[in-house]
Amino acid sequence: MLTLKSVQAGYGRLPVLKGISLHVRAGEVVTLIGGNGAGKTTTLRTISGLLPPRKGTIEFAGQDLTRLPAERIVTLGLALVPEGRRVFRTLSVTANLELGAFHRRDKGAVRRDLEEIRQRFPILKERAHQAAGTLSGGEQQILAIGRALMARPRLLMLDEPSMGLAPRMATQVYNILAELKAAGTTILLVEQNARAALKVADRGYVLETGRIILDGAAADLREDPEVQRAYLGKGYQEVWE
Amino acid sequence: MFFQQLINGLTTGSVYALIALGYTMIYGILGLINFAQGEIYMCGAFVAVLLLATGKVNFFLAFALGMAAAAILGVLLERAAFRPLRGFHPLVPLISAIGASILLQSLALLLFGPNDRPFPIQFTFSSVEIAGLPVSTLQVAILAAALGFMGLLVVFVRYTTYGKAIVACALDRDTARLMGINVDRMVSLTFLLGSALSGAAGIMMAVYYNATYPRMGMLPGLKAFSAAILGGVGSIPGAILGGLLLGVAESLGAAYISSGFKDAIAFAILILVLLLRPQGILRGRGD
Amino acid sequence: MAAYVLHLAILAGIYIILTVSINLIIGYAGQVSLGHAAFYGIGAYISALVSLHWHLPFPAAALAALLAAGLCGLALGLPTLRLKEDYLAIVTLGFGVIVDLVFLNLEVTGGPDGLPGIPAPSFLGLDFRPPWLYLILVVVIVILVLIAAYRLVDSYHGRALRAIRDHEITAQVMGINTPAYKIVVFTLAAALAGLAGSLYAHYITFINPETFGLHTSILILTMVVLGGMGSIAGSVLGAVILTILPEMLRQAHAYQELIYGGLLMLLLIWRPSGLLGRGKLSLKFLKREG
Repeated sequence: MLTLKSVQAGYGRLPVLKGISLHVRAGEVVTLIGGNGAGKTTTLRTISGLLPPRKGTIEFAGQDLTRLPAERIVTLGLALVPEGRRVFRTLSVTANLELGAFHRRDKGAVRRDLEEIRQRFPILKERAHQAAGTLSGGEQQILAIGRALMARPRLLMLDEPSMGLAPRMATQVYNILAELKAAGTTILLVEQNARAALKVADRGYVLETGRIILDGAAADLREDPEVQRAYLGKGYQEVWE
Repeated sequence: MFFQQLINGLTTGSVYALIALGYTMIYGILGLINFAQGEIYMCGAFVAVLLLATGKVNFFLAFALGMAAAAILGVLLERAAFRPLRGFHPLVPLISAIGASILLQSLALLLFGPNDRPFPIQFTFSSVEIAGLPVSTLQVAILAAALGFMGLLVVFVRYTTYGKAIVACALDRDTARLMGINVDRMVSLTFLLGSALSGAAGIMMAVYYNATYPRMGMLPGLKAFSAAILGGVGSIPGAILGGLLLGVAESLGAAYISSGFKDAIAFAILILVLLLRPQGILRGRGD
Repeated sequence: MAAYVLHLAILAGIYIILTVSINLIIGYAGQVSLGHAAFYGIGAYISALVSLHWHLPFPAAALAALLAAGLCGLALGLPTLRLKEDYLAIVTLGFGVIVDLVFLNLEVTGGPDGLPGIPAPSFLGLDFRPPWLYLILVVVIVILVLIAAYRLVDSYHGRALRAIRDHEITAQVMGINTPAYKIVVFTLAAALAGLAGSLYAHYITFINPETFGLHTSILILTMVVLGGMGSIAGSVLGAVILTILPEMLRQAHAYQELIYGGLLMLLLIWRPSGLLGRGKLSLKFLKREG
């Protein structure tokens, strides 16, 4: 569904992505893991159109996304839940959700989707008229996901959804992801928390300083000693003793 | 006497508020001051006055067309002075807008001459009694119209999709784009709305002072900016509050302190606010 | 004819000082001053008053003008240190308007009619009334100002200023005392403008508030943008061009402001670095990253 070929991108004179290639098939959950500064967020920003790539191509469901602006890309079926939630703080929860469907023409379906999302995430119904900025971190994350879902995306991208959340909230978020997976949603998940990500994903890529150094089935990656040591925290005893 | 000054202040204040709304919305979405806002105000007034002078257009149509002309000028201004300069040091669009302001003023001077033009329709205004005190119907009309426009804007921003989209762009430009919102279009819309309001303000003042002239926008423009800062730049209720407060302060100050320095009151307030509470009363964007 | 050329040259010299002073603020420290004519006016009025009422000789009057304007610059600059460019712009604008009103309304400044009969400079045993002699006076002062400006700009302090202009936070992190620099530049620029005001007052021998209003602030701004922000030579060029041009376009007097406005807009779109702005340096200042 989504294919990146040798994509290079960066900020000003700073190159961040040095030629990455990956793909996501329909119905899959793919995760991109890596440390700080590896380029995970940059990858998502590039795919979603916020950052134009310097080289390489991005293709989605047969369409070339490479030079398209962000506001066009979302109309093609790609929605991003950005890093840090980024809800519209002074707007109400409902307004945030409605904006998620801004580009959609089918007003009737939008209203139904809004109801459905509020059913599925009752907290959003509870706090419908509250300013989004007054919600807790976990609630904002749910709102951000709901907002992205309002776009009826064919591919949902999430940037570090568990970041800054208390463990209980993070688990709740990942339960939601598992539900979405069960419902057949295609997901590209970027995470620093490799353990949680690899549990819910089908496949994974490991990103390090702008390059993909490892990829494969999530189960295999979980067993891979390199991954274990660098990202899963195992084996530190072997290193230190 | 006090009551009279209060009414005077509220009347001019409501007009300042209309212009201030333009400033605050543009600052909210672009982070820039539109120095030429006063000239847009002037444009609205001139178009209405010229149309009325032909004798073939009625007042309300002239008013609407004046607002429309101002709105169009605002959009053109954005295209010419702001859009090409995106990404530069903020000083650059600032100076460009100043250039636009001077350009428009001198264009008007050349076309229309420096003299005050009286309003082509001479209304007869009477007094009504409010709470046992006399108030001119002209002032009531202006206050009502201004508050009406402000109300419309608030409704637009709070309850319509495009209104919320504008707020979204002001809050978080990139994320707004992720919603499929075309930020450039929202910026144009913002200029359109803010300029229409400024145009309306210009026409109202053309009636109130019975004078329309090319430089009429300079001082009200700067004062309205002070009002926007006073109320909290980037905040719509702030602009309204700031405008009304400034109008009243000016009126009372002119009556009780000194009338020669009336124009300085707005700037004195501006300097005080920026020094003591730069985010304004209602805490605007304050970055 | 020769008298006319002399007149233009003297005016050009005065404008050069003004343009260099505002260039220090805008082109080097990256701040804004839209009310700079106010300092020009303060200098002019102080110099005039001091020589009219206390009969001080020109050098003392000029010094008084310089100090007074500088002090006002300090008074304005200190509280506004923390303000962002656009706010600072409006504040300086407002300051200009207030000062203008003060000139108009105060008795001692003569109100809208201004102050006539300002004595021409007379010191070192010379009476500077003849224009060619006045020109020499102006030229000497201009040269001194230019030398000082160049030395400032080429020094460590000049580089510090440019660092502040380009990226204030980085400059602070590098240990540059940003507020101190900004204040000093602002005060210095105000003082220079005051000096220019004094020169003007004693040349024309008559001043009124009109000369020192927003119109003049904009004119100086245009000179700086035209010549090139961040270039001293550019300031000279800009000042000269915009002093001569309006005079040459005498018939087109009404078009003057139109041209200034148009110039400002067009320049910024096509050649923001102005005529002589140093290519790379100015462009770095003017373009954001990413």
